[in-house]
Amino acid sequence: MHNLGFALDGAWRVLVAGLALGAGLPILFALGIRSLAWADAGGAAPRPAGRALGYGLFAVVVLGVLLGITFIVATGFGKALSFDHIYPTIVPKH
Amino acid sequence: MTIAFVTQASVVLALVVVTALAFDFTNGFHDTANAMATTIATKALRPKTAVALSGLLNLVGAFLSVQVALTVTNAVVKIQNSNGTPKAALAADGGNALLLIILAGLVGGIIWNLATWLLGLPSSSSHALFGGLIGATIAGLGWAGVNWNGDGSKLDGVVGKVLLPAVLSPVIAGVVALVGTWIIHRITAGLAARYTDQGFKWGQIGSASLVSLAHGTNDAQKTMGVITLALIASGDWTDTKNIPFWVKVACALAIALGTYLGGWRIIRTLGKGLVDIRPAQGMAAQSGAAAVILASSHLGFALSTTHVATGSVLGSGLGQPGAQVRWRVAGRMITAWLITLPAAAVVGAVMWAIGHLIGGLAGAGVVFAVLVAFAVAVWRRSRRTPVSHENVNDDWDGPADPTPEPEPAPRVPAAAAVS
Repeated sequence: MHNLGFALDGAWRVLVAGLALGAGLPILFALGIRSLAWADAGGAAPRPAGRALGYGLFAVVVLGVLLGITFIVATGFGKALSFDHIYPTIVPKH
Repeated sequence: MTIAFVTQASVVLALVVVTALAFDFTNGFHDTANAMATTIATKALRPKTAVALSGLLNLVGAFLSVQVALTVTNAVVKIQNSNGTPKAALAADGGNALLLIILAGLVGGIIWNLATWLLGLPSSSSHALFGGLIGATIAGLGWAGVNWNGDGSKLDGVVGKVLLPAVLSPVIAGVVALVGTWIIHRITAGLAARYTDQGFKWGQIGSASLVSLAHGTNDAQKTMGVITLALIASGDWTDTKNIPFWVKVACALAIALGTYLGGWRIIRTLGKGLVDIRPAQGMAAQSGAAAVILASSHLGFALSTTHVATGSVLGSGLGQPGAQVRWRVAGRMITAWLITLPAAAVVGAVMWAIGHLIGGLAGAGVVFAVLVAFAVAVWRRSRRTPVSHENVNDDWDGPADPTPEPEPAPRVPAAAAVS
């Protein structure tokens, strides 16, 4: 049952990455929405900090999406994304 | 004699190419739901706009597949060498033996895709294709022709590339979507709808677009690989590093047109039947699906977009307090998943037997004719209960009372209730 071992090994990595990006980014997005709502909730005195925080969070989400698109495009060209240097770099596929 | 032989092989090859493109087309409309069902159900996009966007992104995605692996069948059957060329024994005689296996396998995949479409069940197109190929290979080469378990060096074979991912991937996607939905619900509970619905609609459109793009790059490639394999077998192409440009164009157009046509019956099941989805859930489900698809292709973990999308929709239903999951629909769907591979395999095997018994061009012609007859019959049957962009969002449980559903009561967290 070597395949089961490989599959479970792959599965938990996918789960971790999936939780970080697939749940993490939408959660940041929701926090961004919450900040915008909080910015407006000041009534006569709107809170610019909430607005700034909100758009900052949206920017992080957009970066995450751009990373996803980069990955799809790189795969199509036979390249892969490497996270060896923390920040992603495009490398030839092994 | 030679001329007659050449023409006959070319006609069989033409049948294989047309059938492969037909499979690509069914692959497109079968999987529109994976990306767009939730977006359509929450009305983030109008149905026609959603399928147009998804079709366009599939087209772009298919053209992004610059490096196409010719070894697509190697995961499940042994009809190719590791460099992508067909096995010598099968390529002899103008490649007829190989062409018949591919043709029968494709027909098995298409017939199963059409049957599940008629029932509105989101089953995996990759499983249908692999099932058809496995069946045709067993019929043609015996059990030993199938790569059941790989060679032990990596995740491979029917078990490693098809069965295990099929069990694990919907669970992973479900957990991701469940966690996302639940936390988002906690964060945005009590906010005015003008903030949440509008914002989450954009989030949904973005994440659904990612799924569409990834689908185009992944799924169109499979057909490109299969067609090129057939061309190599018949001696019409020799380069194993590249695929003919017309193959890329034809496959990209076939999958994009199929997506644009929209498998409305399946979109309805996934968007309305399983869970009644709200924008926040839709975004969580679609982001979860996108992340799981991209992460697994990054890690070389093969999976089916359909299983991931369905798992994440289920997860978003479980994560949303007060939302109801229709387990009967889920049960039907899971049953369809279980039988997709064997059912397509049986059809593939029968098709191979028919083609082999009759033999040659006539055999391939009869197999093709069976496919056309079945497709016409399914289409006629579908006209009795049409599902289109006009009624795709109707209430699942028939014409219910016109009052809108009551808002689910906000659940008081246990800790807060105690304090």
